[in-house]
Amino acid sequence: MANKNQYAMLFDATRCIDCRACMVACSVENNIPMDKTRIWVSGIGVSGQYPNLTRSTMVYHCMHCLEPDCASACPVGAWTKREDGPVVYNSEVCIGCRYCMNACPFGVPKFDWDKGIVEGPLIDKCSMCAHRIDDGLEPACVATCPTDALVFGDREELIAEAHGRIAAHPDRYVNHVYGETENGGTSYLVLSHVPFKDLGLPEGIGDEPLNTLSEQYVGNTIPVALTWATVLGAVTAGVHTYKHKNHKAESLVKETAEAAEEEIQ
Amino acid sequence: MSTTTISRRDFLRIAGASVGALAVGQLLPVKVAEAARQAGLIDVDGNGYISTMCEMCVWRCGVRAKVENGRVVKLEGNPEHPHSLGNLCARGQSGLMNTYDPDRVLTPLIRVGQRGEGKFRQASWEEALDLVANSMQEIKDKYGPEAVVFSSTHNLSQVQFENLLNAFGSPNYGTQRSLCFNAMIVANQMTYGLEEPNRSYDGLKYLILTGRNLMEAISTSETAALSHAIDRGMKVVYLDPRFTKTAAKATNWLPVRPGSDLAFHLALLNVIVSEELYNRDFVQQYTVGFDQLAAEIRPYTPEWAAPITDIDAETIRRIAREFSDAAPNALAHNGWRTSNFVNSFQTQRAISCLNALVGNWGIHLLPAAAEGAGLGVPPQPPYPRVSAMRMDGVPWKYPLVPFKLGVFQELRNAMLSEDPYQAHGWFISRQNPVQSLPDRGKTLEAMSKLDFIAVVDIFLNDTAWFADVVLPEASYLERYDPLNVVGNKAFIRQPVIQPQGEAKSALWIYKELGKRLGLEDFFQYEDEEDYLRQQLAPLGVTLEDVREKGYAELPEEESDPFTWNTPSGKVELFSDTLDRAGFSAVPAWEEPPRPVDGQFYLLTGKVGQHTQFGTQNNQLLHKYEDEPRLWMNAATARELGLKDNDLVKVKSEIGEVNITLWATEAIRPDCVYLTPGYGHLSKGLTTGYGVGASDSVLHLSFTDPISGSQALSQTFVTVQKA
Repeated sequence: MANKNQYAMLFDATRCIDCRACMVACSVENNIPMDKTRIWVSGIGVSGQYPNLTRSTMVYHCMHCLEPDCASACPVGAWTKREDGPVVYNSEVCIGCRYCMNACPFGVPKFDWDKGIVEGPLIDKCSMCAHRIDDGLEPACVATCPTDALVFGDREELIAEAHGRIAAHPDRYVNHVYGETENGGTSYLVLSHVPFKDLGLPEGIGDEPLNTLSEQYVGNTIPVALTWATVLGAVTAGVHTYKHKNHKAESLVKETAEAAEEEIQ
Repeated sequence: MSTTTISRRDFLRIAGASVGALAVGQLLPVKVAEAARQAGLIDVDGNGYISTMCEMCVWRCGVRAKVENGRVVKLEGNPEHPHSLGNLCARGQSGLMNTYDPDRVLTPLIRVGQRGEGKFRQASWEEALDLVANSMQEIKDKYGPEAVVFSSTHNLSQVQFENLLNAFGSPNYGTQRSLCFNAMIVANQMTYGLEEPNRSYDGLKYLILTGRNLMEAISTSETAALSHAIDRGMKVVYLDPRFTKTAAKATNWLPVRPGSDLAFHLALLNVIVSEELYNRDFVQQYTVGFDQLAAEIRPYTPEWAAPITDIDAETIRRIAREFSDAAPNALAHNGWRTSNFVNSFQTQRAISCLNALVGNWGIHLLPAAAEGAGLGVPPQPPYPRVSAMRMDGVPWKYPLVPFKLGVFQELRNAMLSEDPYQAHGWFISRQNPVQSLPDRGKTLEAMSKLDFIAVVDIFLNDTAWFADVVLPEASYLERYDPLNVVGNKAFIRQPVIQPQGEAKSALWIYKELGKRLGLEDFFQYEDEEDYLRQQLAPLGVTLEDVREKGYAELPEEESDPFTWNTPSGKVELFSDTLDRAGFSAVPAWEEPPRPVDGQFYLLTGKVGQHTQFGTQNNQLLHKYEDEPRLWMNAATARELGLKDNDLVKVKSEIGEVNITLWATEAIRPDCVYLTPGYGHLSKGLTTGYGVGASDSVLHLSFTDPISGSQALSQTFVTVQKA
């Protein structure tokens, strides 16, 4: 069951101006490669017909479920739901089976195909900046949001805040806090002025977590997973040695500079 | 991995990896590390937060830079700075990528090929500075100091740039202001006697926004204030031919015809005067010229404005009544450029008068403090007398344009026509006129006539690409600038890391040039820290304290907000100054030109991920930007047989570009829109090069005779399949 005192983030689509400060902040804070992102914009953008138009944008990252399906689906325990809210990942034990990707009802975990096999299995997703929370800081996306479209705090308090906003402006909001109950409850909560499906959020997801299903799924496939674990474990060990020997930072920098020069010429 | 066949995607990924890779294992260079340690900013391991200021746009948010092992690894908004309030926008967050961009120019460069070939050799500072100073001196000796044009865009070291210009004795100074908001500034001066009043959103109930796309042209604290005010229920009327991200948050989006926002505001004035909805007390006590204004605006009824603006009369009347009902908690925002037509000065005047009529002065419009008040300045001798006339026509052709603003596009035109005389050299600092001036072809031609061009910048931007010498400036995270006053605090920009390569601060560069030009007496500061100490001297605080705290407190200044620096001492609805200069003394209708059949208005604007022409090479912003496409109304596109993502040819009278089309509902059918700052010529910008198209290829030069403003939206184009 959910820990009573856990953190969450509340996203209010009526406040979001799609400035993408959160995305850049996340990229810098978590040193995300230039062709990857942990936050993306979803939603249908501009809709309607000139001149009767609306716009909807959602800042989409991990929902940090109270009972995360990724964790249930994982045969090796690479996912942990921390007591204070974040769902975090341990690349050291991940075997790259990608069950979590299939299990997540929100399509959040992403497999790094560039590094996946060569450098060891790497699933990437938002960690709620758990390392910042440990330092007493808000997640990077929340900390920089110029319009307070993203706020961070105690989950129960944020749910109360969200209902307070709906009560104060019933004409402005869809009368529902997405994530309060969806999939058993999430630590990423969403308020919206348009139907949630217009923000790219799955509807009809149910209040019961999918865990029961996924746990059964994993139960049936544990022998397969174990085989994978053995094979990939061996590959990973080899690759780690290779990586440390050859992928020195200096060579990358040099190659970058050379590549830039060649592009110019 | 082959370096010859590297794809763009690989390049970005690797470049990104290099940022992370460099972040470990390097020690903080001694000088900055020692100073930062002594100031208590970082610990013995070189880790900590240092307060400084952003320079990704001119809003200058307060920043707390996180430093690890001598690398800046993250920027946070400084909660103590009124412009950031703890937040940074996407550009602010990406700032360290500007500093660590692999395209940085890190040594002085001297051109070896033809101009524009991009062939340079590395040089020492000694050689490069000598070459710049000798070339400038040679031109001065031969043709007079006026033959060297100086130009620089709004920045904190500009005061010393102007010092160099004035000491050198050239009257020819190009700022970006005429390309931006000359109309707003001159209109405010004529009405309120100041450049731009401060705005307060506290308790504001009704806002009219014209040409101020605050949710995309982000000024962090003002954008936040607008958002919070909307959240608590403030009504927003937003005029824009495009359904921008601001339009999406407005109570009323009015897709006004370009150039006709003047008619809309004149009609608001008409309703408020004819229905006697104005603040009688304020008007009587604090304004002059109400009767003349009332007489002028009598014909400007909502019914008159409706067919001009495409906004129906009832809507205009309703807004006028709602606006005056909400007064004094009502504000018409001056915006930056309104619709960018030659009549924009009149639009700005109408907006200023509208505010005066509802009496929001002292509540939502406030006098702005003078920049630098209370700070010390290094001593210097008087400047030499300048006898030559300015090439840009100020004041002999543009009597009301302030000297410090100038008319940049006319300066360029004069460089080309050699009228009233010929320019021979151009010293450019932190500015990119090849991109920013309308009619890029003319700018390049004007440059080709010059004997010498020197550029100070951190990149080989499009202008530096055509320079003879490029002097590498330290980035804003690597240098000091003069203090910046906001409210009653003077904020510091200080180095959070050692300058990379040979990069140097502008304060150092200008002083070194001054020395070589025999103007040493004008630069009486030892180094950057000495400059700041002299600034702080009257306050009795040490530089070390300011470095740690991030700012110095200034003494509170008591002033009566209800006095205005105008000839009458009041708010001037009727301006005698305008009258005597031969211009309409009260806001009056000026018919803007319209496109003919088959042509579109070419609109320009802003996006939240970029600033003007200087950030397109930032890999982090490139990562999260939208592809710069030509916006066209979807129905119009269908009529023309064009589809989304078609490559189209956009043609104006002077140029053409090819660009991908975005067929969208979010724009008037008679307009197309192009985000500026793309289509770079410089191959020294490896991320930005080859992306999008430049609108300055298309823009014609039109100058408002009153304010000198360039009418950027007065260019009409045709669009066809490429």
